[in-house]
Formats: sequence, C-alpha cells, structure tokens
Amino acid sequence: MINDASLLLWLIAAGPLWAAIGLYVMPRSQRKIKRDEEISQSKLQIAGLIAGFALGPVGVGLIYLLPNLIRRATLILGILIAVFVSSQVLVRVSDPNVPSVMWLVLAGPLWAALASYFIPRHYHEVDADDNNALTAAALGGFAIGPLIFALMWKHSPKISRDWIIVLGSLGAWQIYTIFAINNPTNPCVAAPYHATYLTQQTANGVVIGTIYSLMAVGLTLIYSVQGVISFAHGQMYMIGGYFSYYFLLHAGNYLSELTGAEVSVNPIWGIPVAGFIVFLIGAVFERGFLKPMHDGLIERAAEYAILITFGFGFFLEYTTLAIAGPFPQRADRFIEIRRFTLQRAQITDDFAFGPINIIGDRVFAMVIGIVLIFALLYFLQRTWIGRGLRATSQDKQAAAVAGINPTKMNTLSFGLGSMLGAMSGAALIPIFAWVPWVGAEMVGRSYVIVVLGGLGSVPGALVGGIVVGIVEALGAGCYPDPSKGAAYKEAFALVIFALVLLLKPTGLFGREQI
Amino acid sequence: MKGKSLLVSLVILLALLAIMPLSAIRADGHCEFAEDSITIGALVPLSAPGSVEGGISMQWAIEHAVEGINADCGIHIDGSHYRLEVAVGDSEGSPERGQAAVERLIFESEADAVVGVYHSAVGLATMTMLDENGIPTVFSEPWNDNVSANGIIEYDGRPPRSADGIDHVFRISPTSTMVGSVVVDWLLSLGVENVVLIAENTDYGQPAAADETARLEAAGVTVTQLDVELGTEDFVPILSRIQANPVVPDAVRLHVTGETSLNLTQQMAELGIAPTEDTVCVTNQYAFQSDTYWGTVPDGNYCAFNRVGIIPSLFNEQGIELNEAFEEAWGKLVPSFAMASYDAVHIVADAMERAGSFTDAAAIVDAIEATDIELSQGRYHFMYGSHNPDLPEGTPAFMWHQWPDPIVTVMQYFEPNQSALNAAVIFPEVYQTHGTSYIVPGTTP
Repeated sequence: MINDASLLLWLIAAGPLWAAIGLYVMPRSQRKIKRDEEISQSKLQIAGLIAGFALGPVGVGLIYLLPNLIRRATLILGILIAVFVSSQVLVRVSDPNVPSVMWLVLAGPLWAALASYFIPRHYHEVDADDNNALTAAALGGFAIGPLIFALMWKHSPKISRDWIIVLGSLGAWQIYTIFAINNPTNPCVAAPYHATYLTQQTANGVVIGTIYSLMAVGLTLIYSVQGVISFAHGQMYMIGGYFSYYFLLHAGNYLSELTGAEVSVNPIWGIPVAGFIVFLIGAVFERGFLKPMHDGLIERAAEYAILITFGFGFFLEYTTLAIAGPFPQRADRFIEIRRFTLQRAQITDDFAFGPINIIGDRVFAMVIGIVLIFALLYFLQRTWIGRGLRATSQDKQAAAVAGINPTKMNTLSFGLGSMLGAMSGAALIPIFAWVPWVGAEMVGRSYVIVVLGGLGSVPGALVGGIVVGIVEALGAGCYPDPSKGAAYKEAFALVIFALVLLLKPTGLFGREQI
Repeated sequence: MKGKSLLVSLVILLALLAIMPLSAIRADGHCEFAEDSITIGALVPLSAPGSVEGGISMQWAIEHAVEGINADCGIHIDGSHYRLEVAVGDSEGSPERGQAAVERLIFESEADAVVGVYHSAVGLATMTMLDENGIPTVFSEPWNDNVSANGIIEYDGRPPRSADGIDHVFRISPTSTMVGSVVVDWLLSLGVENVVLIAENTDYGQPAAADETARLEAAGVTVTQLDVELGTEDFVPILSRIQANPVVPDAVRLHVTGETSLNLTQQMAELGIAPTEDTVCVTNQYAFQSDTYWGTVPDGNYCAFNRVGIIPSLFNEQGIELNEAFEEAWGKLVPSFAMASYDAVHIVADAMERAGSFTDAAAIVDAIEATDIELSQGRYHFMYGSHNPDLPEGTPAFMWHQWPDPIVTVMQYFEPNQSALNAAVIFPEVYQTHGTSYIVPGTTP
C-alpha cells in the first residue's frame, strides 16, 4: 500500500525524471512520423517533457510510439494534466492547508525556465521576430505558467514593450497575492494600513533611487564614450562630498568674519564647487593616465583601465583619510524642514490613508538629482559638445572625420562623469555621515543600476536607480522576517540585477551609445 | 705635559666614540637603552569595513603610551633599559584579515606582546593563534563574552585554552553581558514594556542583542529585533516599518557601531521615531564623541547612550593628561577604547618588569594575573586566572582573565551641541550627576 509520504516522494522524484526521459527520447521518434507531417524538434521535446511529467512512463511511451498524437488538443490536455499534477505535488510539498495557488510560487520558476528555453528556439525555427521573446517567455512562464505556450507558440507574435509590462505586472501581482496569503500580518498586505505603508516605502525608494541615479549617470557617461568602467567613481563621489563640506566650512567662517555674525552657507552652493573641482581632477587624470591607453601606447588596455582607475580610487581614499581624518562629517541641512508629512486622511469608514513621511533634505536632494540629470540630457541632446560626445560614443573614427576631436571628448566625458559622481556626493553629504570609505557601498550599487538600466543609457540609469531604490525599500519593508529585512536590503537589488542579466543582458534601456 | 695629557684624553675619547656602536648600549637622550628592543604588537582596524576611527584612536593611544614609557627609559629588566617599539597590524575589522595581521605580528615583527583589538569578530578569530604562539595579550575593546570565557570553557568545538595551564589572553574592556545588564536594568527601571533592538550583524551586535533580549523578555518586556549590516547608509525603509507598527515602542536600543550608528540615530530622529516623549532613544557609545555626534546627528538631542569606561568627572590625573593629549592631537574627547589601549600597554610593560623578562611568556602571564596598578581608567586587577582558578558557582565564565571593574554608565544629552563632559550621567544611581534616571525630551533636569 502506498502511503501519503511515499506517494509524495514518487510524485516529486518521478515526475521530473520521466519529463527528462521524455525530453531526451522524443527527438528520436522523428523517424516514426510521416514525412508530410514533420514535427519540429522543440515541439517533440516539449511534448515528451509534458507527457513525462504528467503521466510518467505511460505518457512517454504513448507519445514515443504514437508521435502523431502531438496535436494541439493533446498538447493542451497534457499541459492541463501537468498543471494539475504539479499543483498537487507542490501543495503537498509545502503544506496541505496552503491554498492551491501556492503551486504558482513554486511552479512559476519551472515554467519560466521551460518557456525561456523552448519559446525563443521556436521563434528561431519559424523565423519570427525573436526580439524580447526570451524576456516575454520567462515573465509569461512565471506569471501564467503553461498558458504562455498557448499565447506564443501558434502565431509567434512580435513582442512589444506592452507585452513585457503586462506580463511583468501579472507576475508582480501574483507574487503579491501569494505573499499576502502567506503573510497576512505583514505591513505590506495587512489592511487597513497596507496602502499607506506601500506608498510610504515606494516614496522612500523613489526619493533615494533618484539620488542613486545621479551617481550612476556619471558612470554610464564615462563608459559609453570611453568604454572604461571607472573603479574610482565611488571615490569621486566621496571627495565630492568632502570638497563641498570644506568649501561650506571655510566659506561660512570667512563670511562670519566678514559680517561679524555667524553665517552658514547652504550646502547647495557646495554642489557646483565640488563638481568643478572634481571635473578638473577627472580631466587631469584622464589626460595623464587614460589618454596613453587611447593612443595605443598600452598593450593590455582593458586590464590597464581597470587597474589604473582602481589604483587611483585607492589613492584618493587614503589621501583623504590622511587629510580629513577618519571622523565622520556631515554638512548642514539644505532646508530647515525636518520632514514633509502627508497627513492622515479618512477616505471611507474603514479606510484611511496616511500619514506619509519623507525626510526634507532627501526631497531636496532628489530635486537636485532630477534637475542635474535633465540638464545633462539637454546638454547631450541640444548642444554641439553634447552631440560631439554622442558621436564619439557611436563611432570615434566617424566623429573624427566630422571634425570632432575624440581625445578631447574622452577627457570631457571622464571629467563630466566624475563631476556627476562628485555632485551626487555633495548632494548627499547633508544626509549621510561622511567618511573616506563612504563611496564603497554606493559605487557597488551604481554598477547594478548602470547594468540594470543598460550600459550607456542615461535615461536607463535614471530608471535603474529608481527601480533599485524601490526594490530595496520594498524588500526591506516587506520581507517576512522583519529582523532580516534591513540586513538583506542590498541583496534584493542584486536579485533584480541577476534576473536582468539573465533575461535581458543589455539592460532595460540597453544600447551602445549615450 | 699638559698638551700630552690632553692629546691622550682626546685619543681615549675618540676610541670610546669609535667603539660605542659596537657596544650593547644605546644612548637616547637621558636614557641608555639596551640594543634589543621589545616589540608591542598593536592589532587595530585601520581600513574599512573596520572602525577606522576606532583603530586610529587606539593606535595613537598605544604609540602615546609607548612614547611615555620610552621617555622614562623604557622597561627596566635586570638593570637594563629596553626600548619599546610598536608594530601595527591592520585587522580591517574582519576575522581573516585579523588573523593575517596577527601572523605578521608574530612571525615577521616578532612581537613580544599584543594589545588592542576593536572588533569582537577579530578577537574571537585571533585569540587562539595568540595563545598557541605564547603571546601575552591584553585586548582593550572587544565585548563578546567568549573572548575571555574561552579561557575556561569549550567554545566552537575547541578545548579550553587553559587546559595546558597557560592562557595568554586578557581583556580589560567590559563584556557584552556587563554592558547589557546596566542598560537593561536602566530600561526596566523606566518601566518599558515594548522595546525595539536594532543590532549589527557581527560578533558584537548579535550576542549583545541576544543577551539583552533574554534579560528583557525574562522581565516580561516584548522585544522586536531588527538586524542591519555595518556600512549601510539608508535605514528609512526599516525605520518606516517600525513606524507602521500600531504599537509605539517604549524604547529603541541600538547595538550598532561606527558611523552606521550615527546615520541610524539621525534618521530615527528625522522620522520622529525616537527620541520622543513616548520613545526612549538609546544609541551607541560613539555618541560620547560629542563633536562628531552633533556634527552628524543634529537632531539627536535627548538620546541616551551607554558610556563604557570612566566618566569624565571621575578622570584621575593620568586620565586628564591622556585626555588633554588626545584633544591636542584630534580635537576630541578621548574615547574609552583609546584609554583602554593606553592602559593595556602599561599593563604589559608593568608585567614584563615584574616578570624580569620580555620573552618568558609564562612568567609575563603570571605577572599580568598579579597586576595591581592604577592607570587612566582606574585600578586594574584580574580576579580569576591560574592564580585563582576556581570560579565560584554563579560567576560567569567570562570573568576568567577579565578586568572585573570597567565602569558602564548610561548618559544622556539634554541640550543641542552639548559636550559629553556636561551630559547627564543618568544610571546607575551611584554615578548620577543630575539627580534623575531619564530626562524627558523637551525638559531640562
């Protein structure tokens, strides 16, 4: 007699086993198919996989011996059986009391993997436009399971951005629903406060994410023009903060002496000062150490660029430590409003919204970030030099033919990129305690943002920063174990980073030029 | 005749000068040092992710102590004066880097003794190496209970170090349990019922939080623990989570060090979580650095903090001198870990003199166990060691080779930009300076 436990084991172990056997043997059944009814390799594989998973050896045997059974009706039947079996298995694996919707959580990645393996191959076989097919297949497999095959197999439609958005939203909604079922007391789902809480966390993420973006934009600018990832970017951010701090300190002292009253200079003035100084530092560094690489004087240019920027970063960090000391510093506030509060409003008898609190200086820094990013976009799109930078990022030789000096553009891009890093540092020194190693965490996040948004894309860096900010805020705020939410904060962004690398290696807005 | 004797004197003088470098004696100002010198290994964090500020302060204190000892003609052993030299190892606050630094101190610098260590993780990772290589060691800052308990209890599958009769590691900082008991007693005296503990994910933060949680829960207090990573800057998401809880905590207690604690405290204050009339803020001892604290936590008025080490009003002459020297060098009050590091060098030097050797580790350990010396933080002695191996029942294992009398107090600011020298000592009652165990925000004592 088969008891529950052994049945469960059979289901878990035998389903995937027979699915694998089906996957392996089905292409070899081709000879049994009449020439005029030839079935594609991927179709055979998927039929074997589904039949094996759903009906074990019976399914594999049946479909191997009678491959002509592979028709729409049998495939749909197989999928339905597979869904039923997998849901039963997975529910039993988790907890008999858990709703059947749980299968989606566990089966989602499975279907995503299957869809992302088979659907792009099918698109290739039928010579359809496979742009975004992988992303749609993975997201669709995750969100709607085997139904994605029904949607994408027969007509192999062209995948637009709308598809991605709809499928991504469905996946996110599914995760949220399952999360809510399993964590009913979590503040992200527990009525009546969850709307306020989610809005609060999203606002936290947007605010800090926009500030992250500013730093990442500098990195992407350097990369797109020079093809160099600056490993000194975190230190540019750090010294930007220090230049601003010391400028404000000395300017305040000078004005105080001049007026005879205590004067403190608003940190907003430190931003252009820090930007200008670090622009010069970046430009001089590029001239001295990166230009020889572009001139072909360095044999292993890629390795050289990594090492020289890395070394320069160390130099900046330890020089700052020697000069400024290890004691944390912080500039005065931008504005005297400690926090902006959207007061609580009673919408209905059962539902109230608010309060939402955002720290005043962060809002100010966010506005600075947005202004600077749009100023950069304007500069790149509407000015001659900006166009020169874009032309250089597209094709150095063609740009040179058009009268643009690529050497100067290289210097300018490194100076501008470093400047943007420094300005984000100067915008954040009134918000965080500043130490010489403060850039380490931020630069790591910048790499994630740049790849997420798409290397070389300024709008991508902006969106990537906001995505990272929101993911970190929601991850820390919603993680089921509150004691671990903050500790895993950076890991949440890395999960998104890994998924993007897997599904869309070019990033959300990936392209090769700015 | 007179000219001849002058010539002879001159020749003798030149001859003496010529052979001087060959002699075993080195003259240095008013002292004559032996050719051999004694190397003190200073194991401190000088790079991130370690507490660089802590490490630099400790290094300064160790070097300052060594300068002072050398100015008094070094260590006197058998009629000779031995100069002290410092070899610095950067632990970077991480166990594996700490072990590498200790290896260099032992085998390259040939350190005769080791002092310092800021992070508990480094202390735990290096103490067995130090013991196995017979290096007399005085730790001056790690708090994890097991740093000293490891002398007599099995820890992490290792047999007790004292099994071979010698345990080379001593500690003069308090243990987490010592600190926790004072803070918990204070919180309980305030009648708290619901406490949020925010702890760093380290060998200091986690055991300290666990100890305090156990004590608070035993007293019927509800404790919610949140863990954070050192180096994190933005805590708003997790603080919003505290705010979303309909039950307002009575106290938020931080077990977070360095600049991370400053960011956390400021963001907590900016969001209006603590300090408030309803919620007590208990931040890290770093707040004692009042210049740094007010520079980075401008909204942190009325935050309480645990102070480890002697309180400024009780500084003895050595403490005052050390504080003045530190202020001259760094423009800040001397932190307890710098005072402890300074004292650690003196404890080792004193023990070497009494042992009559700087190479006989067993004799030096015996001498440290018999220490009875007044230094900047007070009178040092070690109650339990091979000279007194039996801990009475109920005495925790960490009392082995542990200085039993570090002062732990709770202090509180009550005016913006207030110097730590003027901050109120609010607990224990015996040290109270303003006659109250808590100053409610918005009031003055």
